[in-house]
Amino acid sequence: MLTTVGAAVRRFDLLAKIVNDITVYLTRRSALRSFASKPAPTWIAFILLLSVTGTAHAFDLQQLSDQLAKPSVIHGAFTQEKHLRALPQPLVSKGTFVLAKDHGLLWLLKTPLQQDYRISAQGIARRDANGWQLLPNKSAGAEQNRLFLAVLQGDSSGLQRDFELQLQGEANGWKLTLIPRSLLLKQVFTQINIDGGELVQKIELLETQGDSTVLRMQDSRADQPLSDAEKHDFAQ
Amino acid sequence: MPSERLLPRLFLILLVAVLALAGWQWRHGAPLSANLMELVPGNTPDALEQQAEQRMQEPLNREMLVLVGHADRQQAVAVAQQLCERWQASGLFEKVQWNLQADLPALREQLLRGRLAMLSAKDREQLIDHPDTFIQQRVQALFDPFTGFSLVPSQDDWLGLTGRIQNSQPQHGSVQLDIGSGALIADADGKNWVLLRARTTGNAFDMKLPLQVADLLKASREQASGQGAQLLAASGLLYAANGQQQATREITWVGGGATVGILLLLLLAFRRWRVLLAFVPVLVGMLFGAVACVALFGHMHVMTLVLGSSLIGVAVDYPLHYLSKSWSLQPWRSWPALRITLPGLSLSLATSCIGYLALAWTPFPALTQIAVFSAAGLVGAYLSAVCLLPALLKGVELRPAQWPLRIAECLWRMRTSLLKRVPSSVLLVLVLLFCAGGLWHLNTKNDIRQWIGAPPQLLQEAQAVARITGFQPTSQFFLVRADNQQQLLERQAALGQRLDQLVNMDKLQGYLALNQLVSLPAEQQQLRDALNALPQHWQPLLDLGVPAAALQAEVAHLQALPTQDIDAALAGPLAEPWRTLWLGQVDGGVAAMVSLQGLNNPALLRVQAVDLPGVQLVDRLGDLNRVFADTQISAAELKLMSCVLIVLLLILPFGFGGALRIVALPLLAALCSLASLGWLGQPLTLFSLFGLLLVTAISVDYAILMREQIGGAAVSLLGTLLAALTTWLSFGLLAVSSTPAVSNFGLSVSLGLAFSFMLAPWAGHQKHAS
Repeated sequence: MLTTVGAAVRRFDLLAKIVNDITVYLTRRSALRSFASKPAPTWIAFILLLSVTGTAHAFDLQQLSDQLAKPSVIHGAFTQEKHLRALPQPLVSKGTFVLAKDHGLLWLLKTPLQQDYRISAQGIARRDANGWQLLPNKSAGAEQNRLFLAVLQGDSSGLQRDFELQLQGEANGWKLTLIPRSLLLKQVFTQINIDGGELVQKIELLETQGDSTVLRMQDSRADQPLSDAEKHDFAQ
Repeated sequence: MPSERLLPRLFLILLVAVLALAGWQWRHGAPLSANLMELVPGNTPDALEQQAEQRMQEPLNREMLVLVGHADRQQAVAVAQQLCERWQASGLFEKVQWNLQADLPALREQLLRGRLAMLSAKDREQLIDHPDTFIQQRVQALFDPFTGFSLVPSQDDWLGLTGRIQNSQPQHGSVQLDIGSGALIADADGKNWVLLRARTTGNAFDMKLPLQVADLLKASREQASGQGAQLLAASGLLYAANGQQQATREITWVGGGATVGILLLLLLAFRRWRVLLAFVPVLVGMLFGAVACVALFGHMHVMTLVLGSSLIGVAVDYPLHYLSKSWSLQPWRSWPALRITLPGLSLSLATSCIGYLALAWTPFPALTQIAVFSAAGLVGAYLSAVCLLPALLKGVELRPAQWPLRIAECLWRMRTSLLKRVPSSVLLVLVLLFCAGGLWHLNTKNDIRQWIGAPPQLLQEAQAVARITGFQPTSQFFLVRADNQQQLLERQAALGQRLDQLVNMDKLQGYLALNQLVSLPAEQQQLRDALNALPQHWQPLLDLGVPAAALQAEVAHLQALPTQDIDAALAGPLAEPWRTLWLGQVDGGVAAMVSLQGLNNPALLRVQAVDLPGVQLVDRLGDLNRVFADTQISAAELKLMSCVLIVLLLILPFGFGGALRIVALPLLAALCSLASLGWLGQPLTLFSLFGLLLVTAISVDYAILMREQIGGAAVSLLGTLLAALTTWLSFGLLAVSSTPAVSNFGLSVSLGLAFSFMLAPWAGHQKHAS
């Protein structure tokens, strides 16, 4: 008899109640939130390909990966065009970037508004009057961040798990297409196209909804070390 | 005598009738129930509160949460996927899911529709009070490469309201979406844990399902460990399965042990195979008990059967009463032996029934059912012992073994010689001193959780799941009532303000309330009004090239959005977590719940509802603990009342003094048992008290037996010893139970029986007895 009462009581045990709440919460809520906090795959691709500066001839993905690890610092300028279906003109923004293998990415937007971003092991940060401010959702975006940095350090296996990679062309004139594997990702965008020659020239992200983003990289060079100011930015 | 022929026939007719009734009751299969909720005190007279509770618990009894852990993320996902397929194929589950299949179009639709109603208070205030900042942030977001995806394309939501709603969704826990595989993954202890969710076809009260699920989990666990993966599971079903296994084990132990022990005892003492027929009253008793239970309650709980099995030891006492007369009554004949003992038997039945039925008045439905089962069972056992058994034993000449009698004589001599040296009064003082000392050490425990014999492994796993996922749901919740939806949301907001403080103080991890999902109609109107002023501030957007016409169309569209009420807000996929919270229209108003996460201090909760009209804390755990404390007092009162009843009953045969004495002995025995618990360092729980309540009723029997002294002191002592032994065999075996409360109950009954036996000889000698 007492077993029962005991068992009945167990049902009130708060630990057991987990089942209910977690499942209900998780499925919708964190999914949505994860979408919100995800650095767009554009950036993962961007990192991956900016690093490819090699001139090898028989060009395959393995070589692409190998070359990722080579340059330690890349400086460059970018133009981002956001093509929205409803706008006749794209939203154009410009700025510079610094990609450092051991540190992460500095993304300095200059026009039409000024805003500095940083991706590092700590997460994504935005600079305001008080210095770098880490964006929230650190835990939710942690995996993406890790993936990002892994790619930066030459490990693209994580990327290949989520995307089908198709490489065409030669080392000095090639095109890489990333097609999402999962149904979930396919609901968000159709594919990512990356064009490169000696350096990456263009990244194009096509969203399922019809919008697209084009990133053009100019004046990328791998021969300058980090300046003191840049080191300082990464150190904080 | 004609009665010797008539009685068995009459009884057989009755038996056939009862069997027929039983057959009819079982026509649709066993009327058994395993619903544990039926057994706890139903102290919620409020139908709404009950409905709310059921709503909160329903998923618990049907869903199982599993974490598949592996150092390698891909491996973890692969194992989870295999597990999912295997479980799906098992047919036990309605749905098994390891990855997310988000219905993005539906999400988009809901976000767009809820742009006014679902906007968070902070964002709403910004749009109303600081439209410039609002527009500026929107411009930034359009260029920000790190804001990630917005589910809704910009041209459908130029103001970015859906993105804000997306970002303001309260987030708890540390589980994240693996966007490639769609799996929900948490990182902990150097492993990747993939979350798997299964919903069973039946619920935890099903008789078979929980065991099947537990078996499947066990097999899957082994398989996973072969692949280097670890499984952690949490579900109400697992507790149910464990409870059922335990109950089955205990029925086997208590019922089987008692039966074997009693049969052996009968054979050893009476040395005749036919004496085993004394077990017939036990079976008849079980039948009567079951039939009465189903007749009164519509079904019988499995746990009634567990405790019912301890009735074996009491029911067998009736035949023992006259069988044991064979030591003094030679030659022994069944009918004459019965005639001598009949008054004692009848008194015994009456006192035992009083004792059992006293249990029926406790607020525990479990005990009520057990009381009915036992009382009806005793009546059945009595009737068959009186009407049928003597006929079955007719012609049997009992020549019982002499060694039990010699033991009894030896005991009796020891007692006499002891009394020569130490008079009874001195012994009484010593006993009272013993009692006083023991009671001094006695402490009571009424925390319901201390009664739980939940296996530590289940608890540890549940804790691990809570830790890894970061979810710590609590069993307490708030019930909010109001006249209408508007008032309800206002009341929830008032409660929410207090809960926010707890969250800020880290006393609470979070909560879920409908007012987080949908704003008040008045607030939605404020937004509409504020949108009128927005064109004066949106120049920065126009500068980007956003057409003014598009913005104007959007504002017009937003302003035309209908005001959402709770039902409308709950319609989309995003509202899933909130959906269970809405109780809807209830008599004369509306009601909803507020659920809580990660509570550190339950005492703080009660204060939160103070002075908030319509807000009520539902804390079943706390309420139950209080019921237990209250019941302890009422149990003591019941005990005294049953004693008064028994005294009244016994005045007739024994006179007032005799009756008082007969009742005083069991009371003293109960006191001694309490003291022993104290000396042993065992806590007094409500159930040990119930045990003692029962012992009082049973041991009155022993006092009567000793007072009547039919066939001499030694023979009566032997009869008492046999009765006590058989009873102890069935009740005492409860002490082996793995649930602390059950073994506590068994222990207190055992102690009570031992003391009752020792004290019974002081019942005195009835002069008129032969």
